[in-house]
Order: sequence, then structure tokens, then C-alpha cells
Amino acid sequence: MNLFTLFLFSIVVYNTVLLYGTLGEIITEKAGSLNLGVEGIMAVGAIIGYLAAVTTNSLWIGLIAAFVAGGLCGLLFAVLTVSLQANQNVTGLTITTFGLGLYFFIGKGFGSNWPALKSAPAVSAAYSAIEIPVLSQIPVIGKAFFSHSILVYLAVFIAVGLWLYLNYTKTGLRLRAVGENPSAADSVGININVYKYVHIIIGSGIMGLGGLYMAMVMGGSFEGSSCWINGYGWISIALVIFAKWNPLTAILGAIFFGFFNTLQVYSGSLANTFPEVLGWLSVLPAQLYQALPFIITAIVLIVTSIKQSHGSGGPASLGTNYFREDR
Amino acid sequence: MKKNNYFRVVKRDNVHLKRIALSYILAILVAIFIGGILLAAQNVNPFDYYKDMFSLGLIGNKFAYKQVEAFIKLFTPLLLTSVALSLAFKMRFWNVGGEGQFIMGAIGAGAIAYLFGDSLPSLIILPLMALVGALLGGLYGAFVAVLKVKYNTNETLLTLMLNYIALYLLKFLGETSGEWNFFLSTESSRPLFASFSESANMITIPTFFSNFSLNLSLVIVILICIAIWWYLKYTKSGYEIAVVGDSPNSARYAGMKVSKIIIRTIFISAALIGLAGAFYAASAGTLSTSMTNDVGWTGIVVAWLAKLNTIAIAVVSLLITVLQHGCTVASASYATVDANFADLLQGMILFAVLTADFFTRFKLVRSNKQEVE
Repeated sequence: MNLFTLFLFSIVVYNTVLLYGTLGEIITEKAGSLNLGVEGIMAVGAIIGYLAAVTTNSLWIGLIAAFVAGGLCGLLFAVLTVSLQANQNVTGLTITTFGLGLYFFIGKGFGSNWPALKSAPAVSAAYSAIEIPVLSQIPVIGKAFFSHSILVYLAVFIAVGLWLYLNYTKTGLRLRAVGENPSAADSVGININVYKYVHIIIGSGIMGLGGLYMAMVMGGSFEGSSCWINGYGWISIALVIFAKWNPLTAILGAIFFGFFNTLQVYSGSLANTFPEVLGWLSVLPAQLYQALPFIITAIVLIVTSIKQSHGSGGPASLGTNYFREDR
Repeated sequence: MKKNNYFRVVKRDNVHLKRIALSYILAILVAIFIGGILLAAQNVNPFDYYKDMFSLGLIGNKFAYKQVEAFIKLFTPLLLTSVALSLAFKMRFWNVGGEGQFIMGAIGAGAIAYLFGDSLPSLIILPLMALVGALLGGLYGAFVAVLKVKYNTNETLLTLMLNYIALYLLKFLGETSGEWNFFLSTESSRPLFASFSESANMITIPTFFSNFSLNLSLVIVILICIAIWWYLKYTKSGYEIAVVGDSPNSARYAGMKVSKIIIRTIFISAALIGLAGAFYAASAGTLSTSMTNDVGWTGIVVAWLAKLNTIAIAVVSLLITVLQHGCTVASASYATVDANFADLLQGMILFAVLTADFFTRFKLVRSNKQEVE
């Protein structure tokens, strides 16, 4: 692989986690709920999914466990905010605090007996790269985009599926109605609580899958000082806004944000290899590349609100609880 | 899930203080109990652990005064940040940007300390640091308030983004060597924040307890909290906050300038958080990329647990500091449980309280009007 291909390849590997987080948050927000617990839910999904995968020596059981663990966090969020009318911001932030606490508590508990990834050969085998015929033979970009683990393709698959669901199915369209105007949706007989519960739980389950993906990318080595997720959950929340709540745009957005994330690692070598064209890359500080996803999202937020373009904004009822008796 | 056919959820008209206090105590006990089970599952004796935790390293410790100082170092920024956030939350302005405003305050104070630390005496430079820190933090928050008022920009998401922009600015200042970068130590070869000069360190007051000296910022912060309590209760602008929070429309009918009130209040709120950052920097005598200690996040939890009541916030931030400092102390004796256990406990306490909250705010009523509580 040449440097350029390697750069593109790394963008995909290290940022597919963003796609999982973003898709999970899109489906949650479409139901009108702002779940700020992405970081924590991913951490829980990561550690539970990883441990399940390694102890059973099966990536698939790991995936199910990660989905269930994430989904349970979603259930907690749904019980508190939908049924018990708790504030969504506070609940979401608490899920992040709780999830990270649980992550370190479980991980630390193993002490020196932490199960390494190499103790589960079938998991590594299932995770290894699959080359897509024909497409992976395209020069430069073939290896970068079409030679990845099954989990990368799964994320893209979920994105396309979610897009079809939101735009072309009856339940998908109803879900959007719930997020835009719950009392109107209620008045035509849509059961708001069921819609909210189901989509919050599925969304959190998808975030959990992203957690397991990140655990695999990090090679499953637990470090007491930093979490595998390391801020990707927060960037995912930013990406939802950048992608304008559209799952397909989220794929492009994940690559775009990933471009900056990866540039911070590769700016030096890219500048050295192509000094005339890309020499300026190494001049810019690494922190700028890290901050750019947030800066861009902040600008998008401000610009869309100034333009008052409703179509590109979030679901209208985002962040507010629906209390039937207040109708 | 409840079936609407059998039960209806009805808002309570009056919420008794006694009921709230009781439900909170119960919630905390439940969280501690579940925490104990988790500890036992980890082969840690929960009684021993909690004993270590709640004694806060004070018992049988020759250097107990150092533990008190460490406790105050955690408690002071949390108290001020939580009180400040409660001002914003009272107006239903979801400022989750405490982290960013704290960092901006610290950067402002740090810049003053590095530029003028050698030439100015404490009595001039410390107030200057506080002023610049508060101003920077305040503007960082007021910027969002202006956009919210003018264009209805989503303040939750925008302040969230601004947190990370501030964090990476701080990292940039702390990790980039260069002639221009006056934040860095000149002695170290790798980038490192310089220490403030003697005059830019927070004043400590010697006490009667031999070695313990009280950090002046704690005294100031307590005075500020009393001032805020008084401001909310007895001044016109404090009353306006309550009205705008309850119903912006009634406030408008009453002739209040709602936009102006929101911007003013958010500026005060963010400025106080910036001040907390400035105080923390001056107490630590330097900057650090992990200096916020998640106070912007924890402050939200504290303000919420305390129902935005200033006095309750003081109590709750004391309790949360006990958890955090206690877990740090206890983690020294247990290899498998680290200081993050505090996060786990904090999360469970809040879940329990949010649940209990529901039953203080609402009641379930059988559809045939028979009350079940």
C-alpha cells in the first residue's frame, strides 16, 4: 500500500465507529429524544461485547452482547425520560458518566487476568479483512475502501437500511412524525411511547455495536488510563448535526470528519512525501485537526439557524419530553 | 410499560420538601447498596471499602490536613460551577458548556499570570486574573446566548461543541513549542505549562490547625454563593430570571426585555464558571490539560440533583466531592477498584434520584379515579 492508500484506509478503519454512533443517535433523535449518553453507551457496548466475544470465541455472540448491552442503556434512558419524564440532557450525561464508570470498573476488576484478543483466534479470524471482488482491484482507492472487516460493511449496510426505513416505510415515516410533533402523531393514533422506546433502544444497540468495533480496532488491550471510545461518542453527536439527520450523508460525514482525525496522525508523513503540494500540512497544529469536526459542526449549527432552514434542522420536538396530559 | 387504560399520570399540585428529602436519602442508599453488591462481586469487601471511602483519609493519618486541602481543591470549583449553571438552567437555557467556559477562564487567568506574574504584586495580579478569566468565560457563554436569542440556535449542541474547541485550544497552548508561546516553561525541553510566579498563586490563610492553611478562593466562592442566593431571592433581576424561566410569554406581557435578561444571565453564569477556572488555575499555580476534572459535567448533575436551589447545591456538591475524593483515597488500597468507581456511584445515585423525582412530581391515578400511590 502506498502512503496515500494507507491514509484513506486509516480514515475508514478509525472512523467507522463514528458511523455507528451517528446512526444510533440519528434514529434516537428522529424519535425526538436527544441522548447525550453516546460515549458511555459505546463504552459499555465495547467492554461487554468484547468480553463476550473473547470468552465464547465468537465475534457474533460479541456483537449480540454489545447490541444488548447498548440496548439496555437505551432502555434505562427510555424509562427515565419517556415514562418518568426526567430531563433528557441530565439523563444522557449521567449515562455517559455511569457507562465510563462501569467500563473502568469491569476492566480494572480483571486486574492482570485481562483476556487478550489472541486467546480467541476465531474472533480475529471473523474480524479479518474481506476483499470485495472487482471493486478492491481499483488502483489506489480499491484497497482503501473495499478491503475491510465485516463490521465496516455492516455499518454501511445499517446506514442504507436506516435511510430506506426512514424514507420509504410506513413506520419510518410515522417515527419522523413522532419526532416532529408528538401530540399530532398521538392524535392520529400512533402510540408515542412504543415508538420512542423501540427506537431509543435500537439506536443505543447500534451505538453498542460501534463500541465493540472500536474494541476490535484497539486490539482489545485494556488500559486503565483511557477508554477505547476516547471521545468518538461526542464527535458522533456532532456528526448527526453535520449530516443533517440523514443516514447516507452520515457515511460521507464520517469520512469527512475522519479525514481530519486521521490527518493529525499522517500530516507529518504526507508533508514529507509530497513536500511541494502538501508541505503546509505539517505546519498546522495537530490540535486544529482534532478541533475541526467541532468547529465545522458549530458553524453548521449557527448557519442553519440563521438561515432558518427548517428542512435541514433537527426534529422539531428534539430534547423535549412528551407529557400526554399537557396536550 | 404502563398501559394508559389502567393508570394515568397526573402532576402533583404541591411538592412537599419532606417527601423530596426522604426520597433522595432513599435513592442514595439504594445506589450505595447496589455499589456494595458490585464491589462484593469484584471480591472487595464493601464495608471495608466504604469505610475507607467515607473516612476520606482523615482517620489515623498524620497528613490529614493535606487530605482536607485536596478536598477543598475539588470542592471549590464544583460548588461555584454548579451554582453558576443553576442560573442558566433556571431560564431553561441548557448550558452544557461548563467545561469550555471553565477552560477559557483558566486560559485567561493563565495568560495574565504568565505575562505580568513577575512584575505585579499579588493584590493586583490576582484580581486581574479573576477579572480576565471571568470575562473570557462570560463572553464564551454570552456568544451562544446572543445566537439563541436572535436565531434560536440550539444552545445544548452549540455549547457542547464549544467545550471541545476550548479543550483543543488549551491542548494547543500546552503542547506546541515556539518562541511566541509564553504559556510554556522555558526550562523543560518538551512542551510543558510553566508554573505561575509566586505572586500569581492563590493566597492561603494560615489557621490554628498547625499545618493547614485555608485557600482564600473557598472563602470567596462561599461569599459568591450567598450573594447569588440573595440575588435570586431579593433583587428585581433575580426575580426576572424566575419569571422568564417559568414562562417567557408572561414575562413579555409584563414588559420584560426577555432577550436582554437571557443574555445578561448567561453572561453572569458563564463568567462565574470562568472565575472558577481562574481560581483553580491560581490555586494549582499552573495550567494543565486535565484541569477541569469534568467539573462542567458534574456541575450539571449537581445543579439538577439540588433542584437548582442554591443552598441545596452547596449540600449536594459537598456530597459529590465526598464520593470523588473518597474513591480516590480508597483506590490507594484496592488494586481492582480505581477512582472511576465514583462515576459509577454518581450515575446510580442520579438514576435513583430521577426515578424518585417522578414520584414527587407526579402521581399515578387509576382511571376510575381511585388513587394509588
